[in-house]
Amino acid sequence: MRVRPGTIVKGLCGTALLFLSGCNRHQSALSPFGDDAARIQVMTVVLVAGAVVIGIAVAALMVWAVRLPANRLTLVGGERFILIAGGIVPSAVLLALLIYSLPAMRPRDVSPGDLNVAVTGEQFWWRVRYEPPGATPLTDANEIRIPVGRTVRLRLLGGDVIHSFWIPGLAGKVDMIPGRENTLVVRATRPGVFRGQCTEFCGLSHALMAFDVVAMPPEAFDAWLAGQQAAPARAAAPGQALFAQHGCGGCHTIRGTEHAGTIGPDLTRMGARRSLGAGTLPPSEANIASFIRHPEHHKPGVRMPAFPHMPEREAMAIARYLKALR
Amino acid sequence: MSLHAQDDPALREAQEARLRAAWQRPTGWLTRWTDTNNNRVGVWYVLTAFAFMLFAGVLALIMRTQLAVPDNDLVGASTFNQLFTLHGSAMMFLFAVPMFEAVSIVLLPQLLGARDLPFPRLSAFGYWSFLIGGVFVLGSIFFDAAPDGGWFMYPPLTTRTDLSGLGADIWMLGLSFIEVSSVAAAVELIVGVLKCRPPGMRLNLMPLYAWYILVVAVMILFAFPPLIAGDILFEMERLLGWPFFDAAKGGDPLLWQHLFWIFGHPEVYIIFLPSIALFAMLIPTFSQRHLLGYPYIVLAAVGTAFLSFGLWVHHMFATGLPKISLAFFSAASQAVVIPTGIQIFAFIATLAAGRVIFSTPLLYATGSLAIFVIGGLTGVMVAVVPFDWQAHDTYFVVAHLHYVLIGGTLMPLFAGLYYYWPLVTGKKLSDRLGRTAFWLLMAGANLTFFPMHLSGLMGMPRRVFTYPEELGLAGLNLASTAGAYLFAVGVLVIVIDLALSPTRAKVKRNPWNAGTLEWLALPEDEDWGIRSVPLIETRYPIWDQPNFVRKVDEGRFFLPDAEEGRRETIVTSVLDARPVAVIRLGTPSWLPILAAITVGGVFILTTYHLYWAALGSGILALGVILRWLWTTAEIPEKPCKPIGHGLELPLYVAGPAAPGWWAVFITMLADATAFSGLLFGYYFFWTVHSDFPPPSAGPAPTWPIAALALTAASWGATIIAREVHRRGRVGLTRVLLALGAALSLASIAAGLAGPWQAQLDPATNTYAAIVWTLAIWTVVHSAVAAIAQLYGLARSLAGRTTPSHDADVRNITLYQHFMLFTAVLTWLTLGLFPEVA
Amino acid sequence: MITRLVDRIQTLRATLWTLIAPPLVWAAHFLLSYLWASVLCAKRGAFATEPALFWGCTVLALVVIVGCGVIAHIQSRVPGDNPPHEQGTKVDRLRFLAYSTLLLAGLSFIGVIFTAVPVLFLTDCR
Repeated sequence: MRVRPGTIVKGLCGTALLFLSGCNRHQSALSPFGDDAARIQVMTVVLVAGAVVIGIAVAALMVWAVRLPANRLTLVGGERFILIAGGIVPSAVLLALLIYSLPAMRPRDVSPGDLNVAVTGEQFWWRVRYEPPGATPLTDANEIRIPVGRTVRLRLLGGDVIHSFWIPGLAGKVDMIPGRENTLVVRATRPGVFRGQCTEFCGLSHALMAFDVVAMPPEAFDAWLAGQQAAPARAAAPGQALFAQHGCGGCHTIRGTEHAGTIGPDLTRMGARRSLGAGTLPPSEANIASFIRHPEHHKPGVRMPAFPHMPEREAMAIARYLKALR
Repeated sequence: MSLHAQDDPALREAQEARLRAAWQRPTGWLTRWTDTNNNRVGVWYVLTAFAFMLFAGVLALIMRTQLAVPDNDLVGASTFNQLFTLHGSAMMFLFAVPMFEAVSIVLLPQLLGARDLPFPRLSAFGYWSFLIGGVFVLGSIFFDAAPDGGWFMYPPLTTRTDLSGLGADIWMLGLSFIEVSSVAAAVELIVGVLKCRPPGMRLNLMPLYAWYILVVAVMILFAFPPLIAGDILFEMERLLGWPFFDAAKGGDPLLWQHLFWIFGHPEVYIIFLPSIALFAMLIPTFSQRHLLGYPYIVLAAVGTAFLSFGLWVHHMFATGLPKISLAFFSAASQAVVIPTGIQIFAFIATLAAGRVIFSTPLLYATGSLAIFVIGGLTGVMVAVVPFDWQAHDTYFVVAHLHYVLIGGTLMPLFAGLYYYWPLVTGKKLSDRLGRTAFWLLMAGANLTFFPMHLSGLMGMPRRVFTYPEELGLAGLNLASTAGAYLFAVGVLVIVIDLALSPTRAKVKRNPWNAGTLEWLALPEDEDWGIRSVPLIETRYPIWDQPNFVRKVDEGRFFLPDAEEGRRETIVTSVLDARPVAVIRLGTPSWLPILAAITVGGVFILTTYHLYWAALGSGILALGVILRWLWTTAEIPEKPCKPIGHGLELPLYVAGPAAPGWWAVFITMLADATAFSGLLFGYYFFWTVHSDFPPPSAGPAPTWPIAALALTAASWGATIIAREVHRRGRVGLTRVLLALGAALSLASIAAGLAGPWQAQLDPATNTYAAIVWTLAIWTVVHSAVAAIAQLYGLARSLAGRTTPSHDADVRNITLYQHFMLFTAVLTWLTLGLFPEVA
Repeated sequence: MITRLVDRIQTLRATLWTLIAPPLVWAAHFLLSYLWASVLCAKRGAFATEPALFWGCTVLALVVIVGCGVIAHIQSRVPGDNPPHEQGTKVDRLRFLAYSTLLLAGLSFIGVIFTAVPVLFLTDCR
């Protein structure tokens, strides 16, 4: 009988509930939405089951050993016991495990027609660039959208320091190392909104470097990408002038305007994002305004300069402007 | 001496008085710290490491408090990062490794029936270095300047001076200093095990603790130097801007990860094996029988030592290396489970075959085995590459490593504490408090770390100072925090137990009825170590050799006297422990403390960029060390002395029979390993870059080959000097040594001329930086060669080296062999590899 | 002939160096395998182009380890004192070192097999 991974998750979550905790389903290796994570979850079940059996067996042997009267085990018998229980059985089990695990290391094949997404880790946010074959690339930040059921090749690049790219529900993690390019090939199996996070310690706000992952039905994804590639029309807003006046465009890009800075995250779709500051805050206007004036309060060590002297009113105007960008 | 001479109580008392006088400890309030006796230095060492452990534990409690609830703001990100960096670094470098060295310094001479370790002053130097370095590193947190890059300090986060402050330098230089003292301890312990065993203690009779110590000390020789090489590159980048890890200038951050983990994974076994070694001593005692499967334990220790050097990349499974490379290391990571399992089953078999006395130490031992097995099983899981891609750098790994370290190091040390406390103090600890503490520790450890397996897989990365409520990890984290406090209460109970010890009465000698030599120790402290050095015929002499204790106590074995008022111990042969010589041991002295202060000064002053002061401290250190060396290998007042039973042993040995020769050999092995680490860097860059070495960047072959020729000539001169010296031609020897020194100095000039003439600017690109680094490393060794040759010359002129007493010349020759090895590899690589590639 | 050979082997010296010979062979084989794959992947982008080289090394390593094991096995049966062979005699020391070497040869043999298995399953540099 095959155990369905879902049952296992329920079981594990049940255990977790004992600790008065709700199980998150959007950033968990135990709640996969991609092929690789699902495969690893099955492997996890196998490994845990094996570990439990072996652990109980060793514990039972220890109890037996302590209770056994003296001299019932002879020298020869004891050495044979060590050789079999300590040497031969583990060798066989481990060799089997090795043979079981090796094929699972083979990466998924990619074809030239697959979507590439380049992601660069920066302190403490994610630069995202969609590179659909035969179309213009599209730059975004702190959110990754992928089509369900299609193979996607993630090109993981190092920015300033080492980061690690981990979407537990989709696949295992891969480091982003300055000077190197790593590849992670994934395929999502069900739509939904999920979360990923940096897992290599990268400085003060390492804990606050997450991103949203949106797995979309393929048609919806195609429509979204095409819509984004068309140059958006921008209506004038009071915040726009303030954005320019405070020099925000020196670091941030808003497509369709003169702002084309590349030091910080691209803000073209700011209003559509599900979080602010790479998964740090809910994206309310008040939070945006507060982040502009005192980014370091929300993200220690953030590279964005603070604007403490900016009047609250102006910050709110910029926030409203950004919130309207989609 | 007649066979019955020892029957005379008056004679015995006179001998004891002479021994007591020879081993008289310094008692002044200041001079007492100059003591070198292993009993005292070892205990200071243990207490200091224990204090550092408590400090690091408090840091962990603060972290757990911060993580008790989501979005907590008890401590900020900056403080939190310092906390976890210092917690990990201190537990590894200031507790686990030093504690093993400390325990071994206390136990090893007792286990081997030796009066002391072969180099007591080196032990003292190691201790003072450890204290200075430890206080320097840990103290930094009170100035908000502690390292904050995680205990493996990955560049470029830690090498970029705009992203990391003084803390990174404190970590690198402070801990490098401690690594040097660890290597010193390794030298001491290897020579101790190989050369200072009691007569008759052949390899097959060695206590298993000694086997483990030998294996672990050898592992230190090969594991620590790559990290020292990494530290050198790291500080060159931080202080001088030489780009080894900066990808923009041709470096690669992965080089550090390789060098760090070549150290870091064997390190896990370096701290695990000695703790397991304690089991190998106490399990036979509480099973009241010989350990079953002695060769299996030796197999396990040696096998683990080898395999542990094939695991380092399993810390790098997520770095995007080719899967085939990962697979090799995954396979080795699986294979290392086999020897580890074998030793556990050897213990189980011993318990099964024996009559088990379920004492407090045994309770700790079985409890730690249970915890360790869980950690080992999760270790197998993370050795499976695809699973590790999920678990890596999450709380799952935090759980795994703490199960391994608590079950494999901390709890076994507590077992050892309860077992060996009577050996050191003559008093037992409380069974009631001990058992209370045990259950608190067990409950605390499991409550803290078991939930972490889940929180890791449920998306909690390690090293986060907070986590959002929406991840649903609040309950698991609260449980972990509660467990941490429970664990802390357990440790507190142990501390209370220790504090109450002075109020308790002494117990009888050998209270556990153990069979091994160390339990000859008397409840009343005597500094001479052992009354007479026994002849060993079995593995458990107290159990199996008739009248053994009485014969030792009555001085009926070897060396029962100190006729010349000197501290002495017996040197034996490696395989069969045949007596070879009696050596005189170092006495209390200020030199080790001064050496520790001045060497420490080099590291600490460099941290603050006080380069001239650091140079001054280095010159002072050189002076102190030369002064210290000057006192060694002294020519005895008579060639031989009787040690009882008609045996007469020389008082002076040179070459491979002498502990000093082995010390040089072992130190140079470590040195050569560090050099291999640097050389690995050169070829590593060759593999990652297609334009390395850059075409026609130089240096041209001429100067490197000239440097090699000069070094080879110096080597030749030294060898000829040794040979003519042996034939009594002292004058010619002196000429040759002076010539050798001149050639060594000339090779420095030639070596530096190569990169200098090629105008390689090390701050601009990695190739120039690594070329200069290799060249400087080698010429510094040539400088040391010149100093050694001149030292030999001075010793000869002072009459301290003669044709019949030529230890110095032999040791200098040995150094020259390693010098030639380094020079060949460096100069051929620098001069010829660019042409080949 | 065989008995002569056995006698000859039993007189060979067993030392700490012979003890570590089998794991040293494992270490050399492991290092070669790793360097072989990683250098070729870095420099050529493919490592399995000359598999014969790898398998030749593997067989050689296994043969040497088995050789060490056989010698050790013969030495561990040198007649002498009574079991359990833990006396302070030269024979028991030899038997102990030889038996430990035999065990290490077993472990090293398994280790080399473990190292070789991945090459059967992974053939490219991704």
